[in-house]
Amino acid sequence: MHTRAPYTRPTVQRLSQGPVNPFRHGASPACSEIDGVTVADLVKQHGSPLFVYSENTLRSLYRNAHRAFTRRYEDVQFAWSYKTNHLNAICRVFHQEGSIAEVVSGFEYEKARHNGIPGNQIIFNGPHKEKADLERAISEGAMIQVDNMDELLVLADMAKGRREALPIALRVHISTGGHVVWSKFGFNGDDGEVQQIIRRIIAIPQLRLIGLHTHIGTFILDPEWYQIATRKLVGLALEAEAMGAGPITYLNLGGGFASMARLHYQYLPPEQVTPAVDRYAEAICDTITGMWPANRPLPRLYLETGRALVDDAGYLIASVVAVKRKSIHDPLQAALVAYGKNSAPLVAHGSQNALVLDAGINLLYTTTWYQPRIFPVKPCLDAPVPTTVYGCLCMNIDVIREEAPLPNLNTGDQVVIHPVGAYNQTQSMQFITYRPAAVLVGQDKRVHLIRKRENLEYVQGMEVLPAHLSGS
Amino acid sequence: MASTLSDLMLNDRGFAFDPASGETFQLSTTGLRLVRLLQQGMKPEEAVGYLVGEFEVDENTAWRDATEFLRALEQLGWISA
Ligand SMILES: Cc1ncc(COP(=O)(O)O)c(C=O)c1O
Repeated sequence: MHTRAPYTRPTVQRLSQGPVNPFRHGASPACSEIDGVTVADLVKQHGSPLFVYSENTLRSLYRNAHRAFTRRYEDVQFAWSYKTNHLNAICRVFHQEGSIAEVVSGFEYEKARHNGIPGNQIIFNGPHKEKADLERAISEGAMIQVDNMDELLVLADMAKGRREALPIALRVHISTGGHVVWSKFGFNGDDGEVQQIIRRIIAIPQLRLIGLHTHIGTFILDPEWYQIATRKLVGLALEAEAMGAGPITYLNLGGGFASMARLHYQYLPPEQVTPAVDRYAEAICDTITGMWPANRPLPRLYLETGRALVDDAGYLIASVVAVKRKSIHDPLQAALVAYGKNSAPLVAHGSQNALVLDAGINLLYTTTWYQPRIFPVKPCLDAPVPTTVYGCLCMNIDVIREEAPLPNLNTGDQVVIHPVGAYNQTQSMQFITYRPAAVLVGQDKRVHLIRKRENLEYVQGMEVLPAHLSGS
Repeated sequence: MASTLSDLMLNDRGFAFDPASGETFQLSTTGLRLVRLLQQGMKPEEAVGYLVGEFEVDENTAWRDATEFLRALEQLGWISA
């Protein structure tokens, strides 16, 4: 008996873009394993959808970034940004590598302490810090980055009666000329506000300014912006010292380095756009060493890099639950209709593949900014064609990617979405379905469950039924 | 103006040229197989039978997909409804 060939759907696709390539038939890049563990095994053990993290990638991204900085600067300390991914297993990988913690709330502070990080190795950031959280942070020696005047006054009050002045840092927002200033956070470093606050701090004997912090934004693709920001931050530090604030012992340049994700408007692939960490390191370190007075020890440099350390280590496996065709219209005609230049009904110009996955955008917050790559799990001989990938939510906006290049897939096939390691765990919401499990593939290829799939008990655990509604 | 199916020029990799409109198309492996069978004058039901015999697919799925595919060929004007 002869064996049958693997099946893919019969389709016909008009070749309208790019040079005609009759040989495109033949290869769709696939992702059938993650760090040597087959996707099929992962799904068999842990179900679909499933978040998968590579311990190997986490550690190598960290080491690569750390090396880029320590090669150029002696006193560098990374602080893991809990908001980027707060799964304890992930945080602990970074802590094992030598990272301290950067937190922006009482919740994250508790999580870092729970992960064994002492208070004096926690950078406490954020625009809202509860009084009780500040009290704990002070008593445990955390590095408080003051965001606003109200917080400063609360701290001045809390520090009354201390034997030694309370060390603090100021968060500053800075214009680099290139990006929208994140003026929500901290004090203005361009219009004299910071200097005014520093004067105020000098006048409060129980406070002592020892550091300056800035986080210029996220997914910054131009390292030069760090050079500008660092120049301004160092300028402010030297000015503070000249004003009599005492020695500034650390500078904190926040996060913001880009990962290998691709933004929606981004034409070129990340391999050509995302700068190497070395370029950020060079912009920051060379600026500090070039400006700092030669007769003084360099300040410690803190970095709160988030997405660049975790994004590429995260994958989401999902399954195709339905295949569809979606009509598409002639782009010129559609544009004329949109501008009211054509009242004729839009005629379908053709159709394109569409699929529904068992995971929705409630798990993939970063699809707001990114076009994630979506790989078939099974290697496929068909050429990839533009495919609309829908999530499983009952919402029209639940589109994971408008046009992913994918071969013809069938119901039951699996796909791997990448990179999804940053912000999707922490910003995902439970909506309609249970959120999936997460596993960590260890360096020895052992697969560790690091977050269980949710269940009814978990989701309802915080609900309370009033007595008159609780009878069955 | 589109050609009829028998006028289409195909290569073994599924690349199709429509000489009437001058447009080019890419057929998937099974799409190419179906077009070739239809070009030989085979009826759709028969052609789907070949798909099921040659590829790992059950009859229902093959029918569903082939129906959509035939609709796409109609839309292109290669076959008539
Ligand atoms: C204060 C602070 N530090 C660090 C980060 C991490 O940023 P990224 O993931 O862009 O590196 C953020 C993110 O918003 C932040 O607000």
